[in-house]
Amino acid sequence: MNIKNVRVPSSPQDVHPNKPGDANVHLETQNLHVWFGKRLILEKVNLAFPENSVTALIGPSGCGKSTFIRVLNRMHEFIPGAALAGRVLYDGQDIYDAAVDPVNIRTKVGMVFQKPNPFPTMSIRDNVLSGLKLAQMTYENSEEIVRTCLERASLWNEVKDRLDASASSLSGGQQQRLCIARSLAVSPKVLLMDEPCSALDPGSTRRIEDTIREISSDMTVVIVTHNMAQAQRVSDYTAFFLSEDGAPAQVVENAKTEEIFKKPKDSRTNDYVNGLFG
Amino acid sequence: MTILQEKPSEEVFTEPQYPWRKVNPSTSITNSIIVVLPISIFALSFFLTDLPGALLFIVIFLPVQILVAIFATIWGISKKRVGDAVLSVLSLVAFSFVIALMGSVLFSVFSRGLPAISLSFLTQNNTYISPTTELDYGGVGHALLGTLMVVAIGMIISVPLGIASAIYITDMKGRLAGFVRFMVQAMSGVPSIVAGLFILAAFILTDVSGFSALTGGLAYSILMLPTVARTSEEVLKLVPKELRDAAIALGSSRARVIMKIVLPTARTGILTAVILGVARVIGETAPLLLTTSNTNGTNLNPFVDAVSTIPVYIFQFLGSGYPTAINRSWGAAFVLLTTVAILFAIARIVERSTKKG
Ligand SMILES: Nc1ncnc2c1ncn2[C@@H]1O[C@H](COP(=O)(O)OP(=O)(O)O)[C@@H](O)[C@H]1O
Ligand SMILES: [Mg+2]
Repeated sequence: MNIKNVRVPSSPQDVHPNKPGDANVHLETQNLHVWFGKRLILEKVNLAFPENSVTALIGPSGCGKSTFIRVLNRMHEFIPGAALAGRVLYDGQDIYDAAVDPVNIRTKVGMVFQKPNPFPTMSIRDNVLSGLKLAQMTYENSEEIVRTCLERASLWNEVKDRLDASASSLSGGQQQRLCIARSLAVSPKVLLMDEPCSALDPGSTRRIEDTIREISSDMTVVIVTHNMAQAQRVSDYTAFFLSEDGAPAQVVENAKTEEIFKKPKDSRTNDYVNGLFG
Repeated sequence: MTILQEKPSEEVFTEPQYPWRKVNPSTSITNSIIVVLPISIFALSFFLTDLPGALLFIVIFLPVQILVAIFATIWGISKKRVGDAVLSVLSLVAFSFVIALMGSVLFSVFSRGLPAISLSFLTQNNTYISPTTELDYGGVGHALLGTLMVVAIGMIISVPLGIASAIYITDMKGRLAGFVRFMVQAMSGVPSIVAGLFILAAFILTDVSGFSALTGGLAYSILMLPTVARTSEEVLKLVPKELRDAAIALGSSRARVIMKIVLPTARTGILTAVILGVARVIGETAPLLLTTSNTNGTNLNPFVDAVSTIPVYIFQFLGSGYPTAINRSWGAAFVLLTTVAILFAIARIVERSTKKG
């Protein structure tokens, strides 16, 4: 199988991200509830992520954004005490259905973590290819995959002369871009990003934002961010999570990014995006 | 500008410099007092009295050294550095003590073992050799091969089992993880002779097998397993959780996370676990007396018949009391130490040459 064939070719009419609300939906949650032990963390989350768009998840620290996106690619279940109810649909299929292999879901719904985590024992090249090997995908023309993925993650120019160097020789920002390239190599349909720029320099942040814009032409991106300016720069839609007085978090408002920031319907959203709390 | 600025110096720097290495003259005087004074007092007392050196070292040198370090530091450097000075003195003393101990062990093995070493000693076996035979004849060749066989069998059994149980505890987080860890811990308390007795009772007295390298290796593996398992567990725990998460998020199965990410990341530590396991057993004599027995000839079949090993060879000749026999024991001890050193060096070289990037 050629790697190129794995990707869904984007149809011409939905290339532009700011498409109307009737876009195709790849991934959605229905009445999702999430617990740690007996403590309910998230309540009644209904969110749909339109195909080939960027959705930003915002909200105060500790309200359950990381927990939520880990639910979306079945990483949540590794945490001791984890529990959930409701449905998470990927192309209409409940990913928590007993018939679904979670390993398959994770190749379609990739993830970039807050802390850059390249594999330290591998070279830069092997890091990019690592997902293909770990997920046992067949591929040819590894040079081209390495190059394309590094270019899309805007890292190619900085590392093209030292692809065999250890990944740990890169700076934090470069490592994060390498992690993005690594995720892109397995051609996921959805990419989850948990505060990918929170520990990075402005230059790397800028490049990653460019990358997000670029990959959203054929990929659905969900990004958690605490940076309001970043949410406005990169996202098409924004969902605001809030947990009030220790109650389980809910989605307070979910709309086009413009609306959330320019004319939010809920006063709490208005206060949050204008920096009045959180 | 209101602040008066001096013209910056135009000195040209071509060589790298290390300004932090410059030593304050009063500091170097203080340091030399701390080093020289206690040693001189110790030397004087050693030559002027006939008390034993070890006693003087503890009663005179140590207290004087510590007091001098304290007062000289207060006088010459700063009160705040007294703790540092005392710590340096204590750690240096402890360090020298360890070095002296190690050195004297190595020295006695080298000085007494080396004269016995020759090509024939390394390659010949013990047939037709009596405790009084000259060192020109006979050697440890058969015992060296036996030791390598027994240790190899011990490794073949204990290394996979030990690593697997460590993986079960750290990565599979199996339901019995606590129980497995408890059993491994309990096993590390098994005295080596009990391991030998167990194999003797289970395999040899029941006629399942006779004395052989295999039964010896089984006894060794009981002793190696806890060391390999516990050390592996510690090093697997050091592999960051973020790497496991990254691999799983890329669509990796659990097994691949372990094989491709966790074990390669922990490889140096795993090698250390194996080395510690070998070091734990390689000189063990008691279990082998009960499981391999001993023989004078060379036995290359690990499955049948008694086989000689270096620890048992040492034991055999040490008991006879004849000077040449005792020299054979020292020679064998030398061979054992050297073998360990060579095995460890090879392991490190192999590890380094296969490391990427
Ligand atoms: N492993 C865990 N076990 C128990 N509770 C947890 C765990 N991880 C997170 N939580 C709790 O879940 C809530 C949401 O955490 P998180 O998803 O990390 O929030 P966010 O990413 O929005 O900052 C927090 O109140 C936190 O205390
Ligand atoms: Mg978080």
